[in-house]
Amino acid sequence: MRIGVFICHCGSNIAATVDVPEVAAAARRMPEVVYASDNMYSCSEPGQQAIVEAIQAHNLGGVVVASCSPRMHEPTFRKAVERAGLNRYLFEMANIREHVAWVGKHKRANTAKATELVLMAVEKLRLNRTLAPRKIPATRKVLVVGGGVAGIQAALDCAEGGLSVVLVEREPSIGGKMSKLDKTFPTIDCSSCVLGPKMVEVAQHEHIDLHAYSEIVSVTGYVGNFAVTIRKKAAYVDWEKCTGCGLCMERCPSLKAHDRFNEGIGATTAINIPFPQAIPKKATISAAHCIRLKTGKCGACAKACPSGAIDYEDQDREFTVTVGAVVAATGYDLTDWKVYGEYGAGRYPDVITALQYERLLTASGPTQGRIKRPSDGKEPKTVVFIQCVGSRDPSVGRPYCSGFCCMYTAKQAIQTKEHLPDSQSYVFYLDIRAPGKGYDEFTRRAQEEYGAAYVRGRVSMLYPIKTPDGEKLLVRGADTLAGSQVEVEADLVVLAVGAGAAEHAPRLAEKLRIPYDAHGFFLEGHPTLKPIETNTAGVYLAGACQGLKDIPASVAQGSGAAAKVLGLLSRGELESDPQTAGVNLTRCTGCGKCIDICPYGAVQELEVRGKPKAGVIEAVCQGCGLCTATCPQGAIQLSHCTDNQILAEVEALCRC
Amino acid sequence: MALREQLKKMILEVLPGVDCVIGWGAGYDALHAAPLFMRAPEDVERFLSGPLGAFGAVQNPALFLPELAGKKIGLVVKGCDSRSVVQLAAENLIKREEVVIIGFPCEGVIDLHKLRNKLAAHFVVNEPGGVTAVNLAGDHLALTAGGQEYTFKRDEIMADKCPRCREPNAVISDCFAGIERRADNIADDYEDIAALERMSLEDRFRFWEQEMSRCVRCYACRNACPLCVCRDHCAGASRDPHWLTQADSTRDKFMFQLIHTLHLAGRCTGCGECQRACPLGIPVLLLKRSLGRAVEEMFDYRAGLDTEAKPPLLTFRVEERKIKEREW
Repeated sequence: MRIGVFICHCGSNIAATVDVPEVAAAARRMPEVVYASDNMYSCSEPGQQAIVEAIQAHNLGGVVVASCSPRMHEPTFRKAVERAGLNRYLFEMANIREHVAWVGKHKRANTAKATELVLMAVEKLRLNRTLAPRKIPATRKVLVVGGGVAGIQAALDCAEGGLSVVLVEREPSIGGKMSKLDKTFPTIDCSSCVLGPKMVEVAQHEHIDLHAYSEIVSVTGYVGNFAVTIRKKAAYVDWEKCTGCGLCMERCPSLKAHDRFNEGIGATTAINIPFPQAIPKKATISAAHCIRLKTGKCGACAKACPSGAIDYEDQDREFTVTVGAVVAATGYDLTDWKVYGEYGAGRYPDVITALQYERLLTASGPTQGRIKRPSDGKEPKTVVFIQCVGSRDPSVGRPYCSGFCCMYTAKQAIQTKEHLPDSQSYVFYLDIRAPGKGYDEFTRRAQEEYGAAYVRGRVSMLYPIKTPDGEKLLVRGADTLAGSQVEVEADLVVLAVGAGAAEHAPRLAEKLRIPYDAHGFFLEGHPTLKPIETNTAGVYLAGACQGLKDIPASVAQGSGAAAKVLGLLSRGELESDPQTAGVNLTRCTGCGKCIDICPYGAVQELEVRGKPKAGVIEAVCQGCGLCTATCPQGAIQLSHCTDNQILAEVEALCRC
Repeated sequence: MALREQLKKMILEVLPGVDCVIGWGAGYDALHAAPLFMRAPEDVERFLSGPLGAFGAVQNPALFLPELAGKKIGLVVKGCDSRSVVQLAAENLIKREEVVIIGFPCEGVIDLHKLRNKLAAHFVVNEPGGVTAVNLAGDHLALTAGGQEYTFKRDEIMADKCPRCREPNAVISDCFAGIERRADNIADDYEDIAALERMSLEDRFRFWEQEMSRCVRCYACRNACPLCVCRDHCAGASRDPHWLTQADSTRDKFMFQLIHTLHLAGRCTGCGECQRACPLGIPVLLLKRSLGRAVEEMFDYRAGLDTEAKPPLLTFRVEERKIKEREW
């Protein structure tokens, strides 16, 4: 094989700590290398052109590029060598940026290591064979996990693009966190008035199959053909029959069920439709609170239901759908603020979360939009907002900024003034972060037009006190701008509780085989250039599950994910990666160890001349290599990473 | 009735229904037993006919089963042998219904390497005709060699695997001779591995370097292993993939042992045939026991106890019970 080697400077990314020309010079002495050069940016148009021209000028039969991670530019270079007429698999990449230049500062050692990695790539390339991808049919259907605003947007855009959509939502209704909000910033639009129509559109869209109160059990398969098992949780109500009339709720004698939708502000009935605009508008029985399900006696809802929808024998049901792509849009959950003893750790009823405050502000909420503090139902005159509760606080493991709290706190301060014109709001903040279109103006308006008093500093403690005006909370903090202590007698304290990844997000990530970070947020393919893709082909991200973001950004990412899915599935078929395992039948003893070990179910037992043998389903194989490591005989080999290639690399390294 | 007579009676009962029964007969001298393939009733007379009786029945007859697939085989097994049968069945390498298992309570077997080392000063044990008379009486073994008599305590020439054996009785059998030995008070403390691990890394490496330098690449360890089933496609001899060179280097020899060990991870039942068969007495069982202990600790799994079990390293699970990667 006539091999060409191209060493990339990556500007100064590599060249700062690796002697790139020296690596190229060393490459010229490597076996079968007939051409080696260094380029400023191999991935650039002239960089690629240099590769194409060298292939043609020197009649190269294989190419090694030493530059960044293959995750970054392997597809780029494969296409480049293909343009020059070579098979795209007669190409190897050595990662001398992430694996060398970025991790070591010692230039001589780095140069030596880079040279070794290039030699390993050359030795591997010498044993490469031409491979050809196959066309595999893709299912023109997409699964959207999570029916918040990001998932809704992704589902609607996919459906409008002509794809079938399966939308799975854990809660009984779609709408997510946005459906709990009263107003949205920076326009103070009515949240349910702008979200409601989208929710209705989901329900009515002929291409969207909505499964609320459902969860993902397992995901198998691969891009183009994922098999997804979904569990529909027992609602104890036949949703085919339920009309959402709400008579059952009027009759239910169990009145103390936790009101999930209203964030625990007030209680609700055991049988429940979460809110008037719920989609689907169907009742669900909470088994933990239903008297009938707990004691066998009652049945009030069954008697009340005019359509006979109540089914106390209902059970979880599982079913499987095949989809070509998946959009994860599982959103966020509020973090546990009760770790903060200084804010009462949950002991004081008049210390509430901002999301609970939204429910108090909402006309359709438990107080019909009247701000009543939970302890005694009085309207507060002084409201203290505390920001960064569980955000930007490494001591509770949350060093990051939740991003949207500054904005909603300003919005809530404005709304407080509108609801209670003689009230005074105080906002304890660390920094005001409002970098969006019209955002900074908005926070200024809260202060300048609505008179919210912004105090820069943390609250050190708060505790209940009795005053002539009744019971209050004394909030004590620092004003770091004035350099003084501040004390405020508050009727109500609202905590801007920071957000974290949804509670079960890591479990879903394991099922989808997508990476997630230490906080449970799903990892995008690249932090700047692939914010929607994951490293698992066919799985995309939308909304706060990828990183906290506000509604406009979530909607934009939902649309972005839909565009990615539509692009992926537009042709109805995909190219399979030919880098799969294959079985040497004469070596195979049919022991089936590879069948058991394969995480993808890609190996099956065949009968060849009366003997059991292993066979690889190429379209399912992901090329992970577990089978090749397991097979004692070496009968099953990866087409692009054979034992011999690994040995050649190890040998090369041992020679260095 | 003596154990041998009971076993012979059972073999005769089993024999008409099978192609052959495999047990142990006399070898080339009084010390050595050899596998015995009994096809006719008169063959059964030769069963355990040596002076050591079952104490000399060192070989693991399960070795022959994968090659004899498709035939119906009777097999006389010690506890350790029976675990190999179970493991082979669990891995679909044999069919359980093709084997008739005759079990008995094993009292331990001789370690000829130990005996050889004790006699090394005097003469070569392996030489045919070297040992002229052997008598096992009670706890003592008396043997005559080179015209001189030597006496050993049974315990001091017993294989190391026997005193720590937790399954002296066949774990699976179709018929069982004698009374089961109690073994519930026996534990394996892996002291042999612990002693090795107390050595510094450098010393341990030197230990293995020295041991493996003695290897003559005869592959007796592989050929005696009942779970080494690749036969003609052994990674040690293959050109493609070319895992090992043919060079007579310690590196390649050690590499082969490590391949053998890893191929047996979670599969090895510790029968010790590899080490017994080694003509140089290299302690290769240590490697397998070390990995076996790791598998037992991590997966609560011991190979060869359940024909329905899946060896933990041959399955894929996202969550392993004892490998805590996350909080749920």
